[in-house]
Amino acid sequence: MPDRSQLARIGGRAGRGVLGLVGIAVVVATLGAATLVTLPTLEREPQASEIEPLPSEQQRVCPGPVLTLAEDSTQAQAASSVGAASAVYGAVSASDFAQIRPQVTEISAVDDSNSRQPPLLLTVPVQDGAALPPLVAGSQSQVAATDTIGGLAVAACAEAVSDSWIVGGSTDIGRTSLLLLSNPTTVLATVNVTVAGESGLVDAPGATGILVQPGEQRVISLAGLAPNVKSPVLHVESRGGQVAASLEQSSIRGIEPGGVEIIGTTATPGTNQIIAGVRVMAAVSEETVTTGEGFNADTPSIRVFVPGAVAATVQIGVTSADGTAEGTSTQVEVEPGIATEIPLAPLIVGSYSVQLRSDEPIVAAARTAVDSAGGKDFAWFSASAPLAGSFAVAVAAGPSPTLHLVNSGAADTSLTLTPAAGTPLVVEVEAGASATVPLTGGTVYVVSGGSELWALVDYSGDGVLSSFALNPPGPLASAIRVYTH
Amino acid sequence: MQPRVTAILVARNGAKHLERTLKALSLQTRKPDIVITVDCGSSDATAAMLAAFGPTQFIAADADLNFGQAIAAAVRVTTPPTHDRELLWLLAQDSAPEPNALEALVDALEIAPSVAVAGPKVMEWIAGEYIHNFGESMTPTGATVTLVESELDQGQHDGLSDVLAVSAGGMLVRHTVWEQLGGFDPALPVVDDSLDFCVRVRLAGYRVSVVPAARVASAGDGVAGPNQSSRGRLRRRRVRAERSAQLHRRLVYAPAGALIFHWLSLLPLAFVRSIGQLLRKEPGAIVGEFSAAFGAAFNGMRVGNARRSFAKTRTLGWDAISTLRVPSAEVRRRHSLKREASLFGLHGERPEIRFFSGGGAWTMLAAAVTGIIMMVPLLGADTLTGGGLLPLSPSLPELWASVGYGWRDLGLGFVGAADPFAAVLVVLGGVAFWSPSFALVLVYALAFPLAAVGAWMAATRLTDRGSLRALAAALWVLAPTFLIALADGRPAAILVHLLLPWLFFAWFAAARTWSASASAALLFAAVVACAPSLAPALLVVWGLSVFVAGRRVMRFIGIPLPALALALPLIADQGLRGSWLNLVADPGLPVPSAHAPTLQLLLGLPGTDGWAGVLDRFGVVGLDPQLFVPILLAPLAVLALLALLLPGARLASGAWLVALLGFGTALAANQLVLAAIGAEPVRVWTGSGLSLYWLGLVGALVIGLRSLHRFASTPGVVAALTLAVVVLPLVASLHLGTAAVREGTGQTQPAFVAAEAEIDPRVGTLQLVPQADGGLLATVERGVGATLNQQSTLDSTDQTLSAREKALAELAGNLASRSGLETSAELAEFGIRFIVLQPAGESVDAAETALRTETALDGNAALAPVGDTEFGRLWQFGETDATASTPLPARAGGVFGLVTLLIALAVVGSAVLLSLPIGAGREAVRQANRDAIRRAARADAKQKTKRARRSKVISDLDADLDVPLGTDLEADLAIDRETGVGTGLQSDDGFADDAAVDDALAQAVEDDNAR
Repeated sequence: MPDRSQLARIGGRAGRGVLGLVGIAVVVATLGAATLVTLPTLEREPQASEIEPLPSEQQRVCPGPVLTLAEDSTQAQAASSVGAASAVYGAVSASDFAQIRPQVTEISAVDDSNSRQPPLLLTVPVQDGAALPPLVAGSQSQVAATDTIGGLAVAACAEAVSDSWIVGGSTDIGRTSLLLLSNPTTVLATVNVTVAGESGLVDAPGATGILVQPGEQRVISLAGLAPNVKSPVLHVESRGGQVAASLEQSSIRGIEPGGVEIIGTTATPGTNQIIAGVRVMAAVSEETVTTGEGFNADTPSIRVFVPGAVAATVQIGVTSADGTAEGTSTQVEVEPGIATEIPLAPLIVGSYSVQLRSDEPIVAAARTAVDSAGGKDFAWFSASAPLAGSFAVAVAAGPSPTLHLVNSGAADTSLTLTPAAGTPLVVEVEAGASATVPLTGGTVYVVSGGSELWALVDYSGDGVLSSFALNPPGPLASAIRVYTH
Repeated sequence: MQPRVTAILVARNGAKHLERTLKALSLQTRKPDIVITVDCGSSDATAAMLAAFGPTQFIAADADLNFGQAIAAAVRVTTPPTHDRELLWLLAQDSAPEPNALEALVDALEIAPSVAVAGPKVMEWIAGEYIHNFGESMTPTGATVTLVESELDQGQHDGLSDVLAVSAGGMLVRHTVWEQLGGFDPALPVVDDSLDFCVRVRLAGYRVSVVPAARVASAGDGVAGPNQSSRGRLRRRRVRAERSAQLHRRLVYAPAGALIFHWLSLLPLAFVRSIGQLLRKEPGAIVGEFSAAFGAAFNGMRVGNARRSFAKTRTLGWDAISTLRVPSAEVRRRHSLKREASLFGLHGERPEIRFFSGGGAWTMLAAAVTGIIMMVPLLGADTLTGGGLLPLSPSLPELWASVGYGWRDLGLGFVGAADPFAAVLVVLGGVAFWSPSFALVLVYALAFPLAAVGAWMAATRLTDRGSLRALAAALWVLAPTFLIALADGRPAAILVHLLLPWLFFAWFAAARTWSASASAALLFAAVVACAPSLAPALLVVWGLSVFVAGRRVMRFIGIPLPALALALPLIADQGLRGSWLNLVADPGLPVPSAHAPTLQLLLGLPGTDGWAGVLDRFGVVGLDPQLFVPILLAPLAVLALLALLLPGARLASGAWLVALLGFGTALAANQLVLAAIGAEPVRVWTGSGLSLYWLGLVGALVIGLRSLHRFASTPGVVAALTLAVVVLPLVASLHLGTAAVREGTGQTQPAFVAAEAEIDPRVGTLQLVPQADGGLLATVERGVGATLNQQSTLDSTDQTLSAREKALAELAGNLASRSGLETSAELAEFGIRFIVLQPAGESVDAAETALRTETALDGNAALAPVGDTEFGRLWQFGETDATASTPLPARAGGVFGLVTLLIALAVVGSAVLLSLPIGAGREAVRQANRDAIRRAARADAKQKTKRARRSKVISDLDADLDVPLGTDLEADLAIDRETGVGTGLQSDDGFADDAAVDDALAQAVEDDNAR
């Protein structure tokens, strides 16, 4: 019966073929279905603890009186102080706003050959049982009126940090910039300063390994580090102890003083920088602005620097603080590693808030000038970090101090400004809006009710202009997330 | 007076053999005077046949009567003996005497009045020319010895007369002696009943003799004497009965003074003999071993009764029978003969695989060269680092301490279960015992050749062709998941890829040999320990194997046991937490990986294929890896799918099932994020599942190609070459610098800390790692730092924070801040002497956290900065003294740790003993001899009638038959077939369809035996 067995074999083969095809279909269908189906995900979140550091004593350093170089021609690089600055400071408990008297000591200004008034160190110990550090504020003001230096210089008393950026100053002809480094800690600070200018990073051999002894202030002429730089941007890093850094800039126009300013630190690199207030004292139109060689130093402008290696696209939004003028918005490409001046125009007289949005981290500060019968002066308006919760504002004496507030949060905010003596003020700041509040000089205010605010205080008057930004206590005291495995 | 013979025939369900027995009885030349038949509750035609035979008396007894009791029942109905020429002839249903048997036996008793018992020459039932059993004796230590068994009868033993004992079936005994001694000992129901009786006969002053002229055939039904079947259950029962009988006799024969020592030695001996049973591949005998020991130990009445009746009739000393015992030298000679026979099976295995002649060595060499090319940047390394690689503990005792339930010296330390992976690392570290960490370098150095050999050996299960085996090795070595695991530094995944082919190799043979079954169990444990995510897929395969195993189910059922025993404490711990899913988290140092698109998993790629990066780097445009990589892998997939249409499709579908299970595992792992390291969640590694997927694919491909015969070479080479192109960037990853693994310094801590750890091995270092989310990972490391074997999934999957961890977080948070906290006391309390701040990654937030932390630590008056090291910036906390160091807690595991460790040791140890390929035991050899004779006889019978129906496979058997029977060689072939010590390609594993014929034949043989 060979036929039957042959048939059986053929049938078997056919059956096997069909089964094989079915198998292939099953495999392909299974794998295909797997690629199409979206599977649910099971994801366990890592466990972390939010740690609020125990509050520690708060320290603030006031930079001290305005300094000048070469008063004594035998010591061309030596600095000596001019006059005295008047400081206002105060501290309150964060919980019940009870007044605390700061301990005031002095920082020895070793580089000041004329140390009549040394810089002040404010120390506020933690109150027993306090969960939050006390609110400390201090500021100083000084009107200089010598042959070489004239104008108003105000500065906030700042916390020492290990990493800070200063955008401002110039070592061009007629301009003097002095870097003030104060070490309030008990540890020797080794400071490295990196200077970038309009043509890139400046090779400054003397800028590394600057030793600042505990409790001392060093004064370094920026011209010695980076001569003939029109637009310097400084990055101050300290190892060991921390330093409070500020940059004093003064200028001479011909034979008359062109103004003086003590420039505080600006906010650390970030993609969103806010300058809470910029005061424009003279209207500027599109035509008055020229760039390059013919750049008018008095034009309101913003100096932007990209610390990274990639060019940044920066969107600059200028908004009138009181709603009296239309805001402007410009977009610029900023090359990395090069300090870039961007003029702000057209602008009418008034105060503005400036917001910079970038796709790469940047640092920035703005500068405006005043030129009137009373004299010439200029001011730097630094970007600042947001203030969370209540904060204190110490208003040094000076002409018409004004608090600029920007509420970048999502909610409208009602703020209460409580002066040390007097009736509290209530200010409403809508979400995304800014506000200005006139303050009384010589007073310490406590501002409560805010959640995320940028703040800056400026002074303006006839021929005088100056400002300082308000910064929260350094990140060192903020909460930190800790993982243990 | 004439001798009077009373024949007593005992039957139990013996209709099959009874006919021949009854006929033989009726054909006796000297007929028995009285015939008493005893039916022990048969359910078949036995009773009717016995009754129809026309016995003098027919007794219907209970089924549970043993042979001795049945005889006793028959004796009771006889008249008491009046003279010593009244004889009892003890027969069973399968004792078919030759016509002159009784005559010869009666003559023997007539001639010599001192002989009380005469035994016939017991022949095989079917192979009538073979001696089944001829005379019994004891060794000097009391073990039973059958003087002659399984030998072709050529009259060579016909000179034998006086022996110590004879077997029960066919024995002729004087009725008076029977009465005097009280018959068989009721405590010896099956085995040694006649031996014990004959010993008592001897010691009562009589003689026992064999009568060569009297021949009785026996089928070994188990009525008189034990059942001789080789079926597992019956065989295990026989072995247990033999051991019980031996122990009982030992207790009965022992002098009263030695009794207590014998009694005390029962259980320890059972333990020792159990190990022997494992080595002899008789795990089923262990239960019997213990039940025999317990039975002998706690049945005092039986021993007491037997001792009393023994003492009552004994008139001579033991010296009287010493010359009848088998001397020790003879025992040793017999043992060595059997050992030789059993070892032959082992050596017979080698020619099958042909590693050297089949090209295996060349394949290994080629893989080694490829491996060296890939590993050039690592050449000369003493340690490796990067990815999931960490050093192992520097000494073996420390390695061992990381196994089992106990103190996990990871971070702050905790009491909990170790991952089973730690046990794998202990074994691995033991390879490089002088410096365990070097074992990881060895794994890297030998990864390629080891993977190639594994795949080559696995392929031997599928094909005889050397070229296809080499192709399988190439495809396995070039598996993208393997290369990515090597580049990423994932030791567990590498081990999985190295072990999987061996698991398949052993699993495939598990049905045939205990050795392979135990090897598969150990490899299963190792694979699951390395990649717990593979456990579900492997358990599915196991379930299917068990389902289709049929008779061999016991060889499969134990395969997951070692894995279970190792994971037991971990399962308990995770169970207590209520998070069973965490059991599949990858062991070892957690290495984060991105979510892989399903399409990429389909290509067997757990990470990126590397081409995108390479093309980017060299600026090549216009080539899309997403397009050409699938095209290049298509030949492999097509060939694997084609296997489903070719002969061997059943096996190929099994391979595809494995592949789909592996793919499913990878798919599921892709969706599971169970562990975390700091802020970074850690996904279950998909590569292990893809290794299984790849195993199935390569298997299907080899099965397909082997059916293409001579057309196989081109498609095979194309598949291998295109795969080589795909994995080129992965092979080159160490050269391109895209690999995480690199040469290490042997340290995970700054040298300063390592030096301090020399003095205080428990010195604590606080490791601070800035996280990408701005957080800070704070861990404490003791001594020289973290080790791979101390890593724990219990820690990496922990979703809760202990009080100590919260305290540590509080301390670290304040250390990283300008804080008013007095940190000195807490640092001392945690035993921290050093703080290392590791460099931040690329994240801006991490950089800020690093800066903040550094600033805070710099400003901390209690800390002295030491400087920057290759592991980050180091601070020293100077105020602690050495007494503040935290000692290692002793015996943290407690009773639970000890018990689980013992369980694991027992299970894994048993598997190791069972897996050692040292040949089958003596009993197996003996059994094989018997079975060979029977099969030969049956085949002989079949040959005469069914020549036309014989298949090709049976002709193999015929070839065996040509070998002179009764020789060692014949016995070895029998072992090969029955115990499977020798291996062939045939297998009755669930996937092996070509083995079905062989299996069916084996089944038929078994069935015949049972019949």
